[in-house]
Amino acid sequence: MNAPERPGSFGEQEPELPNPLPRPEGEFEALKKAWKAPRGISFITAVNNTYVGLWYVGTAFLFFILAGILALIMRAQLAAPEGDLVSHDLYNQLFTMHGTVMMFLFAVPAVEAASVYLLPNMQAARDLPFPRLSAYAFWAYFVGGLVFFGTIFFGLSPNGGWFMYPPLTGTKYSPAENADWWLLGIGFIEISAIAGAIEIIVGVMKTRAVGMSLDKLPVYSWAMLVFAVMIVIGFPAIILGTLLLEMERAFDWPFFIAERGGDPLLWQHLFWFFGHPEVYIIFLPATGMVSMIVPTMAQTSLVGYRLIVLALIATGFLSFGLWVHHMFATGLPKMSLSFFSAASTAVAVPSGIQVFAWIATIASGRMKLTTPSLFIIGFLFIFTLGGLTGVMVAMAPFDWQAHDSYFVVAHLHYVLIGGMVFPLFAAFYYWAPVASKHALSERLGRWVFGLMFLGMNVTFLPMHITGLIGMPRRVYTYPVEMGWDALNLVSTIGAFMIAAGVAVFLFDLARNFRFTLEDNAGNVWNASTLEWLPNGTYNTRSIPSVVSRDPLWDQSNLSKDVEDGRYYLPGTATGGREALVTSPFDARPQYILQVPGPGWQPVLAAVFTAAFFLLLTVKFVFTSVICGVLAVGCVIWWLWETDPGPVRPPADIGGGIVVPVYVTGPMNHSWWAMIVLMVVSGMVFTCLIFSYLFLWLVNPGAWPPQGVRIPDWIWPSLSALLYCASAVLIAVASRQLRGADRRNPRSVPILIGVALLLVSGAAAVDLWTQWGTNLSPSAHAYGAAVYAIVSLQIFFVLTTFIMGIYTIARWLAGRLDSVRRTTFDNTMLFWYYTVGQGLTALLVVHGFPRLTGGI
Amino acid sequence: MSGRRTGQVLLMLAGLIAWAVQFTVIYGVTSTLCGRGWADATLFGFGIVPATIVSATLITFAATAVAVIWSIKSHRQNAKRPAATTDGFMSHVAILINGLSLVVILWHGISALILPACA
Repeated sequence: MNAPERPGSFGEQEPELPNPLPRPEGEFEALKKAWKAPRGISFITAVNNTYVGLWYVGTAFLFFILAGILALIMRAQLAAPEGDLVSHDLYNQLFTMHGTVMMFLFAVPAVEAASVYLLPNMQAARDLPFPRLSAYAFWAYFVGGLVFFGTIFFGLSPNGGWFMYPPLTGTKYSPAENADWWLLGIGFIEISAIAGAIEIIVGVMKTRAVGMSLDKLPVYSWAMLVFAVMIVIGFPAIILGTLLLEMERAFDWPFFIAERGGDPLLWQHLFWFFGHPEVYIIFLPATGMVSMIVPTMAQTSLVGYRLIVLALIATGFLSFGLWVHHMFATGLPKMSLSFFSAASTAVAVPSGIQVFAWIATIASGRMKLTTPSLFIIGFLFIFTLGGLTGVMVAMAPFDWQAHDSYFVVAHLHYVLIGGMVFPLFAAFYYWAPVASKHALSERLGRWVFGLMFLGMNVTFLPMHITGLIGMPRRVYTYPVEMGWDALNLVSTIGAFMIAAGVAVFLFDLARNFRFTLEDNAGNVWNASTLEWLPNGTYNTRSIPSVVSRDPLWDQSNLSKDVEDGRYYLPGTATGGREALVTSPFDARPQYILQVPGPGWQPVLAAVFTAAFFLLLTVKFVFTSVICGVLAVGCVIWWLWETDPGPVRPPADIGGGIVVPVYVTGPMNHSWWAMIVLMVVSGMVFTCLIFSYLFLWLVNPGAWPPQGVRIPDWIWPSLSALLYCASAVLIAVASRQLRGADRRNPRSVPILIGVALLLVSGAAAVDLWTQWGTNLSPSAHAYGAAVYAIVSLQIFFVLTTFIMGIYTIARWLAGRLDSVRRTTFDNTMLFWYYTVGQGLTALLVVHGFPRLTGGI
Repeated sequence: MSGRRTGQVLLMLAGLIAWAVQFTVIYGVTSTLCGRGWADATLFGFGIVPATIVSATLITFAATAVAVIWSIKSHRQNAKRPAATTDGFMSHVAILINGLSLVVILWHGISALILPACA
């Protein structure tokens, strides 16, 4: 491949090449062998980011088509007044599934999937740091998603709208299992999204090209970093919400039943604390894609890189202060409305910054009107219109008029289709040459764009008027005399135009997309970033060193030198799969990460996890529990092969840089992942404490309700003491497991064992204490909230217990010593978290009612 | 992550963290007071609700202003060291983020203050 022409130069010095030519014989073959994907049926056990990424994108797109078909059925029903194509009950299922599938099974997975493929390539990493986790996340989503979608064929789909408001979705009004499919199915798919987010955070921070410091990080990586952090903060709220609603439905714990102290508004808070950031969770990766495509199409560097980074971070933060603007019509105090209205308008500022930066980039270069460019222009037009109507509905008085009308339907589709679908299609056309032998057709691409752009506006522009003249959303039909028929017919015609555009895209894919890695179409756009380097299953032959944000424009001969193995780690130091871990800020080489290869464990673990949740939905409790146990067993089997220890002395990766092949402590990638997991857990717990306080607020004088006795201080004190003692023992074990001499002290498993007894005892004492007061979880929201906190803590103690037993098992098997101690470190971190959460829970449950004195 | 880098990240996000604190305090306190019917409660002759809004806004605004000044100082120092590109980048982004946060904090404070809390 020829070196691309460079439209501009940063004038920075190119680095000296770290490895000489010729490369040793067999080096490249060993690298290829290590990264080779399995064949035959075992192919599904592949964990390479390229394979998993492609399957992930394909599955997300399948759900886009399926949810689109549901939309077409709805549009056909509404094309004329008094339509009878579908019944009202099926229509309820259709709109619920359309929204749910588009948001949970298409939008978030699609952007996550694209990043599984693109991020390692863009950062010249060999793979993501936890490839088996990506595979697990994909298979869980694939199996769970398809089964969930299949419910539509049996009349079992959820039918309470994609945000599932109680009391409509409580057992009183939705006694059938439809709602349970949503709560258990979607709740579990969110766990898969969180797994992906952990992978992305660690991947962006720790596996980059040498020299790719934060100021040289591709904007897409910044966007994905913010995206993943937002998932970590936002998704726990919906996971907790679904847990609470499912507990209410299954065990009659009245979190949302007003007659017994609950409040349906609590669900709305939890849902929208996730739901509004969700919009930006979808939008920011799309803007990251746009920021990569625009400079290439304009053949100039991105204008305002730092401002765009500012915009991404600010949007990520501010989007968590908007959730109440979805609740303007619920009768909240005016000050709340004003406050959230201000936040809603404030978030438009960083979004605007990005739009102006793209326009400035286009203006400073010479934009080629390719298919990706057309989709970007379409995105700018449609998203800006959606943003403007967004500012309109951010004004509470206007929102009261437009609420639950087709105006809102139009607004949200302008934002989501403009802000996510159009950039995604731009990305398909732009990045297809990275993964395919041929680029997609420009001629067909223009048809796809034309049909989708016109179809989008023909469908949704009239809906603004349909809404303003009074048509409520979610009605399955309407009488002739309402005067909505012509506008609805136009919308239906537009919807089928979009479908025609998607059909042409599928035709283009079938005709031109031929998956390949080594023999891809190459850098057809003369792009500047590293995903366009020659690649294979190992991604790049050697890990380049970069000196600017546009390395392919600024470093002559980079592609050839990387392909020849002249940069870092051109082979395999340990004989297996490896990634080069770099420092999070300056991207200096730190160590070689031994990456796990293909295996059945993540696939089986995902299938059993999906089975656990889905069987629970249909009340096959015993089979479900067996599947849960098998899922845990598969995860343990998978982990058993990890944490390999220093299998060889530090290795020379080139340029005189010698790095270890194993590290522990805060530099280790799994330490980072564990910290992120603790943040996720902390957010679930915080949302639960918020729920507890919210329920206190709506129950003046009844916290606890009359007749309920608060346990004596002695018991929570004992529980706290046991928690603290267990943490001390773990700290002692950690101290004993120090030293560079690979010590394996016998006291370590004993200390862990005793600590296990103490931590289990602490949780048991608290449960027994509450039970002893005859506090009922179903009589009042107070009891439900207390038992929810106790139950969550028991879950964490159980997890700690399993981790503790697993750590002891590793010691017994000789897989744990003072050097090879990552497993112990992970257990230790989780242990400390569990103890901290337990102490906080005790303080809230036993201290708060005393503090407030029942007010 | 070294202590210096942790400090840089905190400085970069200081304004947004201050905004989050202002947000939580104003929303939490006013919701609680309104929920309990204490909207007209006073402390030393001042209404608790407006006093909370004003003090939360002033404190977080001042903290963010300090962060802006600190970021500018840090950026000037980094500008003298041409090799410190990551440092320079982080201090520049810190100025931008903290500057924007000043506007956001003020914007929120005013919008919360101009309407009666529990009406």
